[in-house]
Amino acid sequence: MGRLILRRLAATIPVLLLVTAGVFALIHLTPGDPIDAMMAESVDDTVKRELRRDLGLDRPLYLQYATWMGRLLQGDLGRSIRNREPVIENVSRRIKPSLQLAGLAMAISLLVATPIGILSAARRNSTIDRVGTSFALFGICMPNFLIALLLIFLFGVTLRWLPISGYVDPMEEPWEGFRSLTLPAITLGLALAAVITRTLRSSMLEALSEDYIRTARAKGLSDGAVVRRHALKNALIPVVTVLGLQLGTLIGGAVITEYVFALPGVGRLVVDAVFARDYPLVQGVVLLIAVGFILSNLAVDLLYGLIDPRIRHR
Amino acid sequence: MASSTPGSGIAEPMAAPPRPAMARPAGARRWRTLRHAARARLAPFGAAVLVIAAAAALLAPLVAPHDPLKQDLNHALARPDRAHLLGTDNVGRDVLSRVIWGTRVSLVAGLGSVGIAVLAGGLLGLLAGYAGGRIDGLVMRLMDAVLSFPPLVLALALGAVLGAGLTGVLIALGVVYTPTFARLMRGQVLSITAREYVDAARALGVPGWRIAWAHVLPNATAPIVVQASLSVAFAILAEASLSFLGLGVQPPAASWGSMINAGRGYLQQAPWIVFGPGAALFVTVVGLNFVGDAVRDALDPRLRV
Repeated sequence: MGRLILRRLAATIPVLLLVTAGVFALIHLTPGDPIDAMMAESVDDTVKRELRRDLGLDRPLYLQYATWMGRLLQGDLGRSIRNREPVIENVSRRIKPSLQLAGLAMAISLLVATPIGILSAARRNSTIDRVGTSFALFGICMPNFLIALLLIFLFGVTLRWLPISGYVDPMEEPWEGFRSLTLPAITLGLALAAVITRTLRSSMLEALSEDYIRTARAKGLSDGAVVRRHALKNALIPVVTVLGLQLGTLIGGAVITEYVFALPGVGRLVVDAVFARDYPLVQGVVLLIAVGFILSNLAVDLLYGLIDPRIRHR
Repeated sequence: MASSTPGSGIAEPMAAPPRPAMARPAGARRWRTLRHAARARLAPFGAAVLVIAAAAALLAPLVAPHDPLKQDLNHALARPDRAHLLGTDNVGRDVLSRVIWGTRVSLVAGLGSVGIAVLAGGLLGLLAGYAGGRIDGLVMRLMDAVLSFPPLVLALALGAVLGAGLTGVLIALGVVYTPTFARLMRGQVLSITAREYVDAARALGVPGWRIAWAHVLPNATAPIVVQASLSVAFAILAEASLSFLGLGVQPPAASWGSMINAGRGYLQQAPWIVFGPGAALFVTVVGLNFVGDAVRDALDPRLRV
């Protein structure tokens, strides 16, 4: 296991280097002068010159990169040009709602997807299966923002059961906080549930057609016990992989969900930074998100090795 | 296995594991493919959606009942009626006409970005697979790096620096989808070049580019086509997500995503502003998914689920 971790970590380094280079290059992809793109024409020339010097854009490219990387290695991700605060501070202020949203969405998706996926596979071609597969298709084809608006229309505008925007910290006011996160978490969770349902169903079907299932049935185990004790355990492995692969989607979905529900999370921060043309902030946050994404994928990889000994020993 | 993306809809399911198609006479193969595709249960629905969407996009100026940009403040937020089948928006523009014109943007974005990705990814994959060694390593690490960004976040960042507008979105999504095709193509190249008929061609002294053109490309097409057909649906979702966030086609031009975003402030008084383009988007994506599934089943029966 230790070797597996080392190997994976080593493989991550070149990718991380390329990722940082890509994020660095981002600001230079602007058609024309990035300073002009970030600031309105009316802004005074001295202010622009100062910003250019602050960002080091007046120096040769390789020097810019070296300085930028040097700062990065010291943990300095740069500063927002709008509120002048370090990227890290901007992010740390916004991370809590995002994590709460992601956690709740993940919980909802597992709660919904596990029974539907198992039943769909166990009762293949039945009405339950058809409902289950239709649900999965619906969730996969339905864009996040549309689910959000449907939920807002139904529970916020028509029934008036739940708040349609804003955020209350559940740590401080548990009930109100939970209510403020419910619609966003359902929005984000449904899309994820659809993918998990689909994966779980097909991996269950595969597991159920294995020889050891026939053996288990032959020795007189009930259907329930066969599913629970033999099929499900093996069917869960692809689900873990898909959960890992879905992290990117979850993050992207969170961007949209936070935008629609006006949740002050990291996703909303990205959108705000993009529209404020605050490129240093965009660079910093995108880099942080990418690194977080790479690390969590690494964690999933290792988890995968942990549950499936065949992979560990490869 | 789905490698991704509902909702924010920006990544897409991986269709085929790299595997060359068997060589068969092209005519017979094509005919069988079509028959298989037609027989799939939901394919006809998908095909119908595709035909209607394509017709709406091509004939938008003829079939749209009103000018999509013409404002009529006296009829703002009007309910759907005979004059405006899907109602009007907050400045009195006909929602149906805007949905029809928006089809153009969606299809151009979907087909265009996947086209870019197929071309760029295909070439990179060919290069990596053929050159091997360091070049292979470099190209594939580069692709890994692109995949290290959550797709929507990458598209958002690229769209931000490239500037709002359809071109920016096309390039951004093209970049996001490129690694999928590069990996697929590389896998194809590696498995096809290991086959006997390529060895035979080599032994006969056929030059490398000719082998690539005559043997590798035709055999690698099937999985690429399958992946591309599935990707288009997700690219359309992605474009809608980006224009929902305000990055795509700029107002007053109509795109489904931006129409939905503009309508969300009127959910209570005029939900039709959101539901018109929302339904168009959903039905198109479902239809394209059915078509993609049918293409996959037809070209690659082993993946049938």
